[in-house]
Amino acid sequence: MSDQQQPKKRPGVCIPWEEKRKELPEIAGDAELVKRVWEETDALAYTYVWHCLVSF
Amino acid sequence: MAKDTEALYAERFSRYTTALRNGRPDKVPIRPFVAEFTAKYAGYTCQDVTQDFQKAFDAACKCAADFDWDAVVGNMVYVWTGLTQAMGTTYYGVPGIDISPDTGFQYCEPPEEEAFMPPEDYDALIADPTGYLLNVWLPRISSDIVAPGDPNTERSNLALLKGGMAMMQYFSGFGVQAQRLREECGTVSAIAGILKAPLDILADKLRGYLGLCTDLLERPKKVLEACEALQPHLAHVALTSADPAKQVPITMWMHRSCVPFISFEHFDNIYWPTTKPIIETLWGEGYQVMLYAEGKWGAHLDRFAELPDASIIYHCDRDDIFEVHARIGHKFAISGGVPNDLLAFGTPEQVRERCKAIIDGVAKDGGYIMDASAIMQNDAKIENVQAMTDFTREYGVY
Repeated sequence: MSDQQQPKKRPGVCIPWEEKRKELPEIAGDAELVKRVWEETDALAYTYVWHCLVSF
Repeated sequence: MAKDTEALYAERFSRYTTALRNGRPDKVPIRPFVAEFTAKYAGYTCQDVTQDFQKAFDAACKCAADFDWDAVVGNMVYVWTGLTQAMGTTYYGVPGIDISPDTGFQYCEPPEEEAFMPPEDYDALIADPTGYLLNVWLPRISSDIVAPGDPNTERSNLALLKGGMAMMQYFSGFGVQAQRLREECGTVSAIAGILKAPLDILADKLRGYLGLCTDLLERPKKVLEACEALQPHLAHVALTSADPAKQVPITMWMHRSCVPFISFEHFDNIYWPTTKPIIETLWGEGYQVMLYAEGKWGAHLDRFAELPDASIIYHCDRDDIFEVHARIGHKFAISGGVPNDLLAFGTPEQVRERCKAIIDGVAKDGGYIMDASAIMQNDAKIENVQAMTDFTREYGVY
């Protein structure tokens, strides 16, 4: 599958947590914390990409 | 904050937000969208305020401190070209580099055959808008960023790194600026949050206006599908950039998706069905949207009237503001209507006459906010902006 044929991603997401989770070993600690922080920092990249289009 | 400044802020905040919701405050609120005018007033060039956003913030504060305005934008010279240069953006004419230091920045739309998105890319955009922007569009609009699969470069890495850091720095600055306006000037930050309609953004930054016109005739279904794909993302951008307190509106900057730039058929079948749901979603979340109707959108007032009462504020540029008031003033607040050419070339007396006509004809029952028709650049005369301010303050009392 080429880069341009990737499935749709929901708003606010560049790399979905579900995709990233597969790369990680079993999470011994707080998995929800890891997920939340991943999604929050991923959303910053989304903000950057979309504001380049909309704001700048 | 000094007690009198805090009291002034509270008074202005109440006045402005009452009018936003189509209510009748104590006086007609004044909320001028002053862009490069701030540079002229503060003694800067357009280059100063476009390339150095701290100077732009300073100039906005100086104006807010000196004029009796209820609300302003923290920096209406919104495009900070330090950021766009950091990421290698190619579509701006930058004051002091590409154009005169005393001319406002320019958007340079490429010719149709060099559009950032060729027509054969519709399916890729529709399938994954975020991926398309990141992997295809950004490399095309930047002189430095390279696409996945192409040999990487130091300049590409730096463009993404610097662009991201610069955006964080700039956006963070708006919070500080809002606090500064409040504490130093008692002035409200007028807006928060940005929205552009799917069809407008498709024309502006992807296909270009001429390319979009071709597509509306040759592949209208693809245009509709692209707008539907962009719609949830543009709603998300608006929501995540909005005022958390939900007190000041998100602004939708409206460009060329109106008659006669497009047909009624395309407006009714593509523009409106992919824009109205965004506004309804935002209203459902408690946000008003200001329709900053650049040019003339009066052909579509019946469509805008479909929206819930008070969900929007309609900003008049070149529409007949009296007709707008007659047709939708019972539902929505209205702002603007003082022509920019009058502010640039008219006399203070002519400005006062226009303000009187608007206050008498539009503001009588509240629901009106005084402003120029479009953002004020450095051609607006200071004495005319002063006349607009002073007359409205004196005459616009309920």
